[in-house]
Amino acid sequence: MRNIWLIAKREYLERVRTRAFVISTLMIPLLMVAGIVASVLGAGHTKSTLHITVVSRDQQLALDLQKELLNSKPNPMMVDIISPGNPETKATIDSMLADKQIDGYLWITPAAHPGERPAFSYTPRSAADIATRAAITAALRTVLLRERLAHEGMVANDVDSLTEPVKVDTAQAGRNAETTSSYVAIYVLFFLMYMVILLYGMNVARSIIEEKTSRIFEILLATIRPEEMMAGKVIGVGSVGLTQVAVWMLTAVLLATGSWFQAIAGQSAHISLSAAQVIYFFIFFLLGYLLYSSVAAALGAIVNSEQELQQLNMFLVMPLAGCMFALGPVISNPSGTIARIISFIPFCTPLIMYLRISLAPPPAWEVALSIAGMIVTIYGVLWCASRIYRVGILMYGKRPNLSEIMRWLKYS
Amino acid sequence: MAIVQLQDVSKAFDSKLAVDHLSFEIAKGSMFGLLGPNGSGKTSSIRMMIGMTMPDTGSVFLFGQPFDRRSVYRIGYLPEERGLYKKMKVIDQLVFLGELHGLDAVTASKRAHRWCERMEITEAIPKKTEELSKGMQQKIQFIAALLHEPELIIMDEPFSGLDPVNAALLQDTLLDLNRQGRTVLFSTHRMDQVEKLCDTICLIHRGRKVLAGAMQEIKARYPKNRVQMVFEGDPAFLNHPVIETAKNYNGMAEIKLRDGGDAQLLLMDAASRVRITRFEVMEPTLEEIFIENVGDRVDA
Repeated sequence: MRNIWLIAKREYLERVRTRAFVISTLMIPLLMVAGIVASVLGAGHTKSTLHITVVSRDQQLALDLQKELLNSKPNPMMVDIISPGNPETKATIDSMLADKQIDGYLWITPAAHPGERPAFSYTPRSAADIATRAAITAALRTVLLRERLAHEGMVANDVDSLTEPVKVDTAQAGRNAETTSSYVAIYVLFFLMYMVILLYGMNVARSIIEEKTSRIFEILLATIRPEEMMAGKVIGVGSVGLTQVAVWMLTAVLLATGSWFQAIAGQSAHISLSAAQVIYFFIFFLLGYLLYSSVAAALGAIVNSEQELQQLNMFLVMPLAGCMFALGPVISNPSGTIARIISFIPFCTPLIMYLRISLAPPPAWEVALSIAGMIVTIYGVLWCASRIYRVGILMYGKRPNLSEIMRWLKYS
Repeated sequence: MAIVQLQDVSKAFDSKLAVDHLSFEIAKGSMFGLLGPNGSGKTSSIRMMIGMTMPDTGSVFLFGQPFDRRSVYRIGYLPEERGLYKKMKVIDQLVFLGELHGLDAVTASKRAHRWCERMEITEAIPKKTEELSKGMQQKIQFIAALLHEPELIIMDEPFSGLDPVNAALLQDTLLDLNRQGRTVLFSTHRMDQVEKLCDTICLIHRGRKVLAGAMQEIKARYPKNRVQMVFEGDPAFLNHPVIETAKNYNGMAEIKLRDGGDAQLLLMDAASRVRITRFEVMEPTLEEIFIENVGDRVDA
């Protein structure tokens, strides 16, 4: 244990002390702050309500649309109506658009034949304003539907209740679940793991290659076992990544809870997670990170240079990407056989078991078993990695093929 | 007491037999030379001694017992494959390696400073390894192997790449440590470099023992049949009946005598015919003894 600690301590201190680490650790929080400051400054310049003009010969349709857009959520629009409009109108509103007096205009051309729909044409000031176009389309659909229903003889109240949006409450066995929060948490976990593994997992492999190229391994192996070295490297290099991510997360949390952030967001982006979910989040994140770092260590043990490592990169990312495909079936039936099987594959456990816990808590023994499975796998991967490392470096000094790796595992 | 004992040890890598039924002992307090050409199994034997690899057959005893992890704290090992962390400061590096050998950080740091003084590299202490010359790096590795005051010091090709001044410094240090009662094992293919240093040797070739024992005994076993002489005059005397072969390099002759040939006789005859400035009866060198034993079995 002392040796693992010594190796881990050295790796950690040597890396944390580098200028590159300090800069990259501080850079992201600075960017976050800069981003928020920029959006605060930017917010002052954008009008909060959009202002559009509707040109229509059918005044009733225009009025209905105005009412609908005024009430539209979350961004009500100010709507001017020009009815019926004359040949000079187009030139006038085009110049208004150019002067930024309005944000866009909707031109409604009446239908040529009765019973047909009129033609609609929306001209925004900025072609990128997709949200406004979508809001107008939705409003038009509602207005036309109401008009049609009223035309068919339905009373106004009935029309309102018919067009009322439907609300679906999601309830989970035993408690009210915030399903959205669960999804957010699983996606955060996924991207956090993906990012951390990509950023730092390879550092473990690199630090093992460094030992080989600097030829210091022989002094080390004379005093410590390769397993101890591998474990120390995974823990030491891993902690560097965790330190950095912790600093970033902490900044993000501090910024997100600040009142000025809430003011910008308009409403609080509230995510509710149970204490158990938070604890499991950390457990599965840590175990997943350790597992994938161990795989990286094994890759580092196999290859002799960074170039060779690049070719094996995919082995690190593939299992994680595979989990993404498994999300579908697991979400649709979290307690089904497929979900249960996948959640017991150690490389998928951190994501899939966590997802299951969030959606429909599996029996405690299943959770315990999956965690035990991961720990055993981490140990096994490290054991194999240290075997490959020791045999490879002490006896050959070349990159092994698969059959050689299998044979090396049997060496004493 | 034997500090290291190899009994009928063999080790194969795939089909290649690196060490072939090798047995020898290293007595406490000796200066032991493990000698042989490149690829003869020296490093493989050392690795088995200190538990880095296990023998396929045979047994290894270290400090009188089968290999035990705790024994590594009593060994100082300078591997042939030298290496240090390039970006690490010298003092941090030495403390780290000292800690790995069971020292606490404070002791390691104190001893590191003392050793750096002794090896005349105090200015290197706060520097990063990559800023140092190769010779300095070698000294640091040397210190790293000695910091924990090991009873058994193993030096694999210790003098390779060192200039004569530093090689002498290293030699003196090792002799000094030996006088303090520490056992030193040299492993090298440069037999001439350790000839003066070792009191006991084991010559190996292709993983097998060729010759082992006390240096003086081994040398005594071989006749002093070589003469080196420097002369002025007619080299015709080199046809003398006691001479088997002679090479004349313009007044400097290397002579091999016949079996039973008397150098004294040659000296007397030569003295009457040419002017002699130097006449030396040579001991056989280790290299010659090795070649004589291995004969045409030497490849390279």
